[in-house]
Amino acid sequence: MKRKITIALLVALMVSGNIFTAKAQDANDILKKMDNVMYSPKDMTGKNKIILIDKTGKEEMREATIQQKGNNKRMFRFTSPASQAGIAVLSLPDDVMYLYLPAFGKERRIATSAKNQNFAGTDFSYDDMESKPFAEKYTPKLIKEEGDIYTLELTPIGKSEYSKVIMGVHKTNYFPVSTEIYDKGNNKVKQAKYTFKKVGIYWNAEEIEMTDLKKNHKTKMQMSEIKYDSGLSDDDFTVRKLKQ
Amino acid sequence: MEKLAKAIIKFRWLIVITVLVLTIFFGYQMRNLTINSDIFSSLPDSDPAASLYKQIGEEFGGNNMGLIVLETKNIYTKEVLENIQQITDTLRVIQGVSTVTSLTNIIDIKSTEEGIEVGKLVDEYNLPQTQEELDSLKKYILSKDLYKGSIVSEDGTSTVIVFTLFQDVDNKSVANEIRTKVLALNLPETLHFGGMPMMLDDISNLILSDIVWLIPIVFIIIALVLFLSFRSLKGVVLPLMNTGIAIIWTLGILVMAGYELTIISNIIPVVLLAVGSAYTIHVLNSINQNKIADKKQALISALVYIIIPVFLAAATTAIGFLSFIFGSYLTMIRDFGIFTAIGTVIALILSIFFVPALISAFSMYNKTLETDQEENPGILSRLILKPLVTLLFKHPKYIFTTWIVFIALSIGGTFLIKISVNIADYFKKDNETRISEDILQQKFGGSAPIFVLFEGDMQSPEVLETMIRTEKFMKEDTFINFTQSVADLVEQMNDAMGEGKKIPDERAKIEQLWFLLDGQDIMPQIVSENLDRGIIQSRFGSSKSEDINKYLEKMNSFIQENSTEECKITLTGMTSVYIKINDSLVNSLYSSLTIAVILVILIVGVILKSLSKGLYAAVPIIATIFLLFGCMGVFGIPLDIATVLVGSIVLGIGVDYSIHVISGFNYYMKENSNDLALAIEKTILSSGKAVIINVLSVAAGFLVLIFSQLVPLQHFGILIAICMIGSGTGALTLLPVILILVNRKRKIIAK
Repeated sequence: MKRKITIALLVALMVSGNIFTAKAQDANDILKKMDNVMYSPKDMTGKNKIILIDKTGKEEMREATIQQKGNNKRMFRFTSPASQAGIAVLSLPDDVMYLYLPAFGKERRIATSAKNQNFAGTDFSYDDMESKPFAEKYTPKLIKEEGDIYTLELTPIGKSEYSKVIMGVHKTNYFPVSTEIYDKGNNKVKQAKYTFKKVGIYWNAEEIEMTDLKKNHKTKMQMSEIKYDSGLSDDDFTVRKLKQ
Repeated sequence: MEKLAKAIIKFRWLIVITVLVLTIFFGYQMRNLTINSDIFSSLPDSDPAASLYKQIGEEFGGNNMGLIVLETKNIYTKEVLENIQQITDTLRVIQGVSTVTSLTNIIDIKSTEEGIEVGKLVDEYNLPQTQEELDSLKKYILSKDLYKGSIVSEDGTSTVIVFTLFQDVDNKSVANEIRTKVLALNLPETLHFGGMPMMLDDISNLILSDIVWLIPIVFIIIALVLFLSFRSLKGVVLPLMNTGIAIIWTLGILVMAGYELTIISNIIPVVLLAVGSAYTIHVLNSINQNKIADKKQALISALVYIIIPVFLAAATTAIGFLSFIFGSYLTMIRDFGIFTAIGTVIALILSIFFVPALISAFSMYNKTLETDQEENPGILSRLILKPLVTLLFKHPKYIFTTWIVFIALSIGGTFLIKISVNIADYFKKDNETRISEDILQQKFGGSAPIFVLFEGDMQSPEVLETMIRTEKFMKEDTFINFTQSVADLVEQMNDAMGEGKKIPDERAKIEQLWFLLDGQDIMPQIVSENLDRGIIQSRFGSSKSEDINKYLEKMNSFIQENSTEECKITLTGMTSVYIKINDSLVNSLYSSLTIAVILVILIVGVILKSLSKGLYAAVPIIATIFLLFGCMGVFGIPLDIATVLVGSIVLGIGVDYSIHVISGFNYYMKENSNDLALAIEKTILSSGKAVIINVLSVAAGFLVLIFSQLVPLQHFGILIAICMIGSGTGALTLLPVILILVNRKRKIIAK
């Protein structure tokens, strides 16, 4: 009898202990799992369509090809509109970026000291475009579990123009569903919606729709013709390649 | 007339109750009274300069611009930069703020050894810390025209944080929030708030405090004058109650008609108090002077005597106000005219209907009927009016000549009149906002935004070249510290690409440079989305009309030479609008005065059945108007949105004195078989008292505006007071003298 009680107690303790740690770990865990889903491919190539929608609903479209290796090398090459065709941006580790303007036939290193600047007229800031794992940039806290979605509150580690990011993460597949970005005055300034689709073994962000709530301006980034792990090498991410 | 008087007495209770109910109703409406201090919302949409200015504000968000100046010993320190950043961040998150530009977030295009950096002047997440970094920042800033004198003063002791508000926000509450939140940071540096939104917020507060403080004072002063004149409670209470009710009705109607109180219409209560009480005074005076024993009959007879002159007085006053409808450019001046005219009519109706009804309903007849006024003349009659009559007959020519000399001097003074439309001038010299504006003007080229609009292909090398040329031309003006446009940015980018600081000659290059500019915070402020319109932004550092005119003239001839089909150049900005208001003030003055003079002569002529008498009645008031402009010139009181009103108001109110004198003269001429000397003596002794009391109460009422927080209203009060005294004196001296002199040539006969 006594032993039974002891065992029961032990089980109860273990279970409750599990529950305790589960909460704290979960948030970190969820975020890490999400980073894994987003950054696990070795490399990726594809087509990127950028649709800019202003407050009157007027649309403007840009297209680019994209190559990415790991989470810190990326080549963006615009193919349309004609005036921007050929413009290419190469991002390398440690915030090194090069820009190639074909009309000048020259490349220039561009500094992104101001990461809150928007990237090429989109509603994505350089910060938003960065492929740095979320777990390195934010401290997460699980604030809600509802239906298929975990809701995390992310607090920036280090300096940021944001005060917090509320992020929805899919419960079974761990891709992000939505983000809401708050400025330092705790006003919601931006929000994003993600649509993920499985391509091969990886989840791919088929569309990300970012809305700047202050400007009432929207950007949709759509990916297509995605190929993963096609064996891109570091040589594909050099200034020489940029100029081709 | 007698029927009307009898009806008033018969329906006295109905009248009293109706007035009571309506007063409660309109008083209830007044709870929705709001203040709109924005003078620019008063610009008519039909005007091209004003509508372009509004349109640019909507498209580029630049004209609703506020500025915060931060002053300290040396801004190039870590602490000060942090504080600038704190202010910037605070402003940035306030709802309604569209853009914020400061030292810590301003765009910067650097060309470095290794490449190009399109970013911020300082990295706001990594502010310069070491002395070395700070020194190099200082050196860099002083090397760039874009920052020196526009965002940082050359001596390095002050910097400015520029913000713009969205068009459709409640300016006042946003400005208020900005002030409160920034002050709550408790920074050690001295802060000054300037620019249109801050000034408008300030003006609203001043209007409010004016209303709260001035109206009771006007009440008390007029009550005092009334008490001294009538020496009875009734003589104080009835006129004040009457105008009080008229004010409530007028403001109630104003609210119901969907209008707001403006910097001008906030003086409606003061004007009505001063003007409206006169009608009741005349009605009371007439009742008091009537000596018929039967009280009811006495009241009726008094009414019969007074209705026409009081009606005339009110009609001319209302015409004075209504003349603003035709002459004014600013809608708020027009609205002021309409509602003060309405108020005047209400005050008239109340004094004719409500006052007698009240007297008869509550049996407030004069108890001192036995006192024979003629045997016991007041101090006024003994000391002033009697000697005056003697003087008039003894030296009519001297008096006439004195007036002519005064008028001649005044006409000379007219040429010295200055015009002021600068909003900063509305504040007293020691006002915090005024000080801020002065500092802004001294150190940062002012707070008045100016724009040059370019319509054409913003990516064409020719258009951008023209913009650069225009900017160079603008900067030659002493009052322009800096200019900013997309052409500047393209030039700098081209330089950073290693091709020199100039506009590229190929369109393709410009298009590609644009890639880096796209999405920069500043872009929507200087170029339209479809790239067919762009502006040069600047500020103009003077509010003097001469300076503005010189600049506009220069710019206009430049534009004429350089504007083409492919690149259409238009000038606008606060300065253009100021000049427009400036011209409109003068036009408004002429047209409203002309209309008022003609209508007054006609009305008086028709009622007195003699156009020549209409002319005589107008002489003293026209003389007064010359005096008015002479005073403005000599004492340096500028013509502004408030003082422009004085002429027509004075005409409307001041002519009443002449009307009383001339209608009294008419009456006594008939009574005394055209004995002019006797008629004039009787007129002056009877009407003279009412005129003097009225001059005193109106002048005293308006003089209270000296305590107003707004300079134009102070001037307005002083000028009206001067004019009241002028037109009162004119009616009692110039008018009788003219009658005497005319009579010597050709006998005047009353019809």
